[in-house]
Amino acid sequence: MNEWAIAATVLALALIPCLLVCLLAPAPHGLVALEIAGVLATTVLMLLAEAFHRQPFIDLAVVLAPLALIGSLTFARLMERQL
Amino acid sequence: MNWRITVATVLLIAGGAIEVIAVIGLCALRDVYDRLHYVGLASFGAPLIAAAIVFRESFSLIGDKALLVAAVLVLSGPVLVHTTLRSLLTRERGDWRAEIERVAEDEHP
Repeated sequence: MNEWAIAATVLALALIPCLLVCLLAPAPHGLVALEIAGVLATTVLMLLAEAFHRQPFIDLAVVLAPLALIGSLTFARLMERQL
Repeated sequence: MNWRITVATVLLIAGGAIEVIAVIGLCALRDVYDRLHYVGLASFGAPLIAAAIVFRESFSLIGDKALLVAAVLVLSGPVLVHTTLRSLLTRERGDWRAEIERVAEDEHP
């Protein structure tokens, strides 16, 4: 297990508090946690590509980065109304 | 140890630490507007990790794409913070400009 895999593991474990905030806190707090979780997941995919020396893995991060942005913007737009 | 690997490791630790601090801040603070600060911080950990990958791999396919991902994340961070803040203010007050106009009227009646 090299340092890249260790960093990926640490950041993957950091997703758990984000999940807990999403589940337990009110919706606006969950949106903030979702935005941080999107950044974390993208970074974890980048680190896994480097850890395993698999070039196709980085494409997942390239796809996830704009998708996380679009998803968060959509939730933010829907959050304007009281749901 | 090769100096490139040393620099890459330092950048990796710095980038990872920034993201972990963002998650700690998300858990430690209670107000949603305070928590929102850490979205911007989290997105600035990615360029450090991308720089670490570039230092180790040079400008290979992984390095170039890591820089692309970091650029997307850095640009999306402030956009997300601004959009979320505006949306939360609209949810709370009906119009995000209402408070600004009220303060302006108080200062210049």
